[in-house]
Amino acid sequence: MNEQTIKKPVSVKKVILRVLLYFVILDVCVITLYPYFAMLCTALKSRAEIFAVDGTILPVTALWSNFIDIWSRAPMARYFLNSVLIAGGSTLIAMLCGIPAAYALARMKFKGQTAFLGFVIVSQMFAPVVLLIGIYKVMMTLGLTDSILGLVFINAAFNQAFTIWLLRGTFMGISAEMEQAATIDGCNRIQAMLKVLLPVAAPGIVTTLIFIFINAWNEYTVALCLISTNEYKPLTVGINIFNGYNMIEWQYLFAASIFAIIPVVILFMLIEKNLVSGLASGGVKG
Amino acid sequence: MKKQTFRKIEPYIWIAPSVILMAIFILTPIVFVFRMAMSDVSKAGMIKGFNGIANFTKVLKSSSFGLVLQNTLVWTVAVVVLSTVLGFILALLLNNQFRGRKIARAIVVFPWATTLVIQASAWNFIINTDYGTLNTLLLRLGIIKEAVNWTPTPELYFMWEIACGIFVTIPFVSFCVLSGLQSIDTSYYEAATVDGANYWQKLFKITLPLVKSSLTVSTVLNIIYVFNSFPIIWTMTKGDPANHTDTLVTYLYKLAFYNGRQGEAAAVSVIGFMILLVCASVYMVYTLRKGDD
Repeated sequence: MNEQTIKKPVSVKKVILRVLLYFVILDVCVITLYPYFAMLCTALKSRAEIFAVDGTILPVTALWSNFIDIWSRAPMARYFLNSVLIAGGSTLIAMLCGIPAAYALARMKFKGQTAFLGFVIVSQMFAPVVLLIGIYKVMMTLGLTDSILGLVFINAAFNQAFTIWLLRGTFMGISAEMEQAATIDGCNRIQAMLKVLLPVAAPGIVTTLIFIFINAWNEYTVALCLISTNEYKPLTVGINIFNGYNMIEWQYLFAASIFAIIPVVILFMLIEKNLVSGLASGGVKG
Repeated sequence: MKKQTFRKIEPYIWIAPSVILMAIFILTPIVFVFRMAMSDVSKAGMIKGFNGIANFTKVLKSSSFGLVLQNTLVWTVAVVVLSTVLGFILALLLNNQFRGRKIARAIVVFPWATTLVIQASAWNFIINTDYGTLNTLLLRLGIIKEAVNWTPTPELYFMWEIACGIFVTIPFVSFCVLSGLQSIDTSYYEAATVDGANYWQKLFKITLPLVKSSLTVSTVLNIIYVFNSFPIIWTMTKGDPANHTDTLVTYLYKLAFYNGRQGEAAAVSVIGFMILLVCASVYMVYTLRKGDD
């Protein structure tokens, strides 16, 4: 490639294509960031400025106090804690159930393996929203409606498919030889998995972990349906307190939204690369 | 002897926690939904008795169901097809070497990471006629003279919802394709260049066949996700006015939790399954067949 560029002078066509590439990429970035820019600007405006006839793009004076006010105007700290508990709890349970299952699928042969894997894949099709009526009934039976624990279990269950899928791919990509050697040295299966496989699989495990955490953090529909007590709402549902039927407090809604977005975007950027290769390999390769 | 029996049941112990979790929180709701779809259900959700296909006929006969079904298909097809095409193009662009590529990739991932309900609120605000930022921006830039009503009809509002759906789906497609693109051996392209292939020939003869599997995964998953997507429409229009922007999921949510017609809502769920089942079976056949190779 380098040799070519040295031999041939850069053609006009190539320059135009380059410029075009930068132009399109820049456009894509601007459009992508635009909603975030609009949210930030709005979060810094006063209510009067937002509804003013002669609208502004940037806030006249940045009202950083909006970001502080939301904590007293709504139980934001409580919403935040709930989101952490729901996302953290479901990640924990999903991993505790998912790791052994993925291990069995990757390392053992057993009857019903294909059926189990088939169910895992098909379960993807049943989004919680379609099952809400059924979920609601199960939760009533277990006494888990309007509780954080209920959301933890639902999120953990509906993330099993991804957990197993991603982890199975990760485990299968790691040679079983080291575990076998450990078994010969007197380790049992559980020890071999914990001490030999899991440390090697750590990047894949972290990716899976963060992905479930994000999914549960961003979940909206089930929480909307199951939680009626304000104190148990996660951020995604709770921030709509500023989105009332007769009055929308956009500045507070977006200030609160920004708090809800930031942790997730950071986590997502950390795993983005691993996640995609994991999705592709876990899903397509057998 | 004992060890052998243990060997046999051991895998089932390993998968048991996962199986139990999914049995309680996924399988049982599925069973409930199917049972309720074929039962007379009281407003409080009590199952009063088997009533065959009565719920289904009620749903199919209702005047709004046709519209809702049509909306669902338009929504799913438009979002999936357009985001797949645009996401594929974006992936091709991001696969080039250029300055700031890492930053561009990080930015593009934003909509994927943001919860849908916040995205939808943001877009709802942007396109508002009276104080939306899109009008403000265009007015300030002098592109328009007076505020435009971006959502004069329910159909146009629905188009904006579709646009929002496309916006949030593109990153997922792009990154799936990108992972496929990065695993392609560059020597294929070099060989093709030597043979005198042009850009389009390389695209259709090398790139497309080699990212086909990534593209299939992302498309099938997207069909399922988009079909079942609730927050965007719920946040922007709640399916109003008069079911004009409803899809199956918002329709069934209202039936179940606003109108207390849970039996009919369950029937709508089942109809949704049937439609998706076709997609899922295609997917399963594809994935498991690959697995046997």
